[in-house]
Amino acid sequence: MITDPSQYMAIALFVSFIALIFTGYPVAWLMGGLAVAFTAISMIFDTYLGIYVGVDWGYSSIVVGRIYAVMNNWVLVALPMFVFMGIMMDKSGIAEDLMTDLAKLFGRVRGGLGITVVVIGVLLAASTGIIGASVVLLAILGIPLMLKHNYDAALACGVVCATGTLGILIPPSIMLVLMADQINISVGDLFMGAMMPGLMLGLLYGLFILVYAWLRPSVAPAPKDAEPVRLGLVLNVLKSTIPPTLLIVAVLGSIFMGIATPTEASGVGALGATLLAILRGRLTIAGLRDVLQGTMRTTSYIFALFVGATAFALVLRGFGGDELIESALTSLPFGPGGVVIVILGVTFLLGFVLDWIEITLILLPLIAPVLVDMDVNLVWFAVLFAVTLQTSFITPPVGFALFYMKGVAPKGVTTTTIYRGIIPFMIIQLIAVGMIFFVPSLATWLPAVAYGP
Amino acid sequence: MRIEEEQIGSVTAADLHPHDDEVLRDNRLSRAIDKVVGKIGDAFSWLWLVLLSVIIGNVILRYVFERGMIELEELQWYLYSAAWLVGLSYTFISDGHVRVDVLQERLSLRARMVLEFLGLILLFMPFVLFVIIYAIPFVELSWQTNESSTSANGLPARWLIKGCLLFSFVLLMLVGFSRLMRVLATLRYGAAPTAEGAKR
Repeated sequence: MITDPSQYMAIALFVSFIALIFTGYPVAWLMGGLAVAFTAISMIFDTYLGIYVGVDWGYSSIVVGRIYAVMNNWVLVALPMFVFMGIMMDKSGIAEDLMTDLAKLFGRVRGGLGITVVVIGVLLAASTGIIGASVVLLAILGIPLMLKHNYDAALACGVVCATGTLGILIPPSIMLVLMADQINISVGDLFMGAMMPGLMLGLLYGLFILVYAWLRPSVAPAPKDAEPVRLGLVLNVLKSTIPPTLLIVAVLGSIFMGIATPTEASGVGALGATLLAILRGRLTIAGLRDVLQGTMRTTSYIFALFVGATAFALVLRGFGGDELIESALTSLPFGPGGVVIVILGVTFLLGFVLDWIEITLILLPLIAPVLVDMDVNLVWFAVLFAVTLQTSFITPPVGFALFYMKGVAPKGVTTTTIYRGIIPFMIIQLIAVGMIFFVPSLATWLPAVAYGP
Repeated sequence: MRIEEEQIGSVTAADLHPHDDEVLRDNRLSRAIDKVVGKIGDAFSWLWLVLLSVIIGNVILRYVFERGMIELEELQWYLYSAAWLVGLSYTFISDGHVRVDVLQERLSLRARMVLEFLGLILLFMPFVLFVIIYAIPFVELSWQTNESSTSANGLPARWLIKGCLLFSFVLLMLVGFSRLMRVLATLRYGAAPTAEGAKR
């Protein structure tokens, strides 16, 4: 498999990365630092042992040009604007109002509060796209309310973790923007491809909650003191659901119809969210400053990883790491479908230790050419990849979402409770991955209809 | 149900990992560096609002007046990259860069400080220094040739945005140095006396 001694360096680099992640040093700087350290080691090999391994200072200095390429990447301008939009929606109190109103509307149904959480998760999927943020938001909003109404704590936690991570999958999600950029497909296509699988997952969650609540009424009882549904309440619900829904539909619609570029749509979405906040009287100068600083932190947190991963990938490539992965993948005796399964398996495992940003930045550019050679539909693959990552984030014992959940869960909710609650949702995820895998049109139908084959 | 404003704040800050900021000892220089870089970051965060206005302006021009302006499109990525570049050090100060802290939580303060020290001098600083060294000729060349955009109506002064790359890494080096001083002081004298986590 190894054709060139420098590929041992590639393996050493990757292994050191995985090992050193556990020191807890920020991943972005770990990647950048390793790139420089391995360049230095290569220089020593070259100078003292006369072995040239494909990397030297001159080669690695290309990293400056690569960082500059990230700087003038116009598509990525959409990313901070979607982050801005998500944070602004949080700040404007839309999520809280939705929770209150929808809870009243669905409150009379068994499992209704669980459904409420799912609906909010899907609607506010635009919310920053940082898993921690959406899980924490839904947990703060939903858990106390569900527990107050005697919901089973495990079910409540499961719903929040699953729905909180669903946000990264449903467009307009920044994860999809980043993925599209890395594998060179259009953001609009990927948004459309993710639409049906995302909604399908939301539906499956909802169905599960209803069926479970019907089978075992004690886990999600209907509140006794629920007010009857009156016209006023329905109007209230409409008032709080319509504006954010319209905003998201407008943003996605203009991209799907090809009217606006994702960057333009993201700007309009950010403006729309700001106007909503102003109309609701929730926007102060101090609030605006918080939103801007939040945008700055979240965006820079992503781009720091971008910078580090760029350096890391450059040096890995210099050692012939890309050829190594390519030959490893093409030598697998299963054909394209099997290769995709292997990649998804690796992604799932990597999801235990790394956030989607690092995985997308390191793995996707390495495997995309192989997939193109095998004629794999990249939209379909990216959607599968995204659902797999989401599954990984809710898989015990190390899924990210579960840690965040534990961090904000009320006292008395144990780790075991959270693990117990998430299992049915993991099964739903696996079913979804299977469905998308065997029925690719779930992901490819919508983009094909929109743009023609 | 109403949630407290602070809670929402904590949700949006993407700063959910536990970190050692409160146990690190400050000194006058580290406080000064962090304060200045923090102020610069605060100021640059307003660029997001400017970027928003430029995008909207561009949209209006394109759809209402049917003219596209290359200058405005270039201005968009100028603003976007200037903001996130400076944001790197801003996020560094609040220790907002993502860590995998599964094991770290179980280590003693001293072990965490040693790891942080090693990370700073073996990974972070060499990387930042490396980028600075190679960014200098990159910016210099752009400055000497008075490089401007390759498009006809593009923006002049490309060295300005390339300079932002250099500027941001110099800021990173400064905040890295400030953190190094704090980590060393904490290793030498123990956790900051005011820290709640001092007993850990």
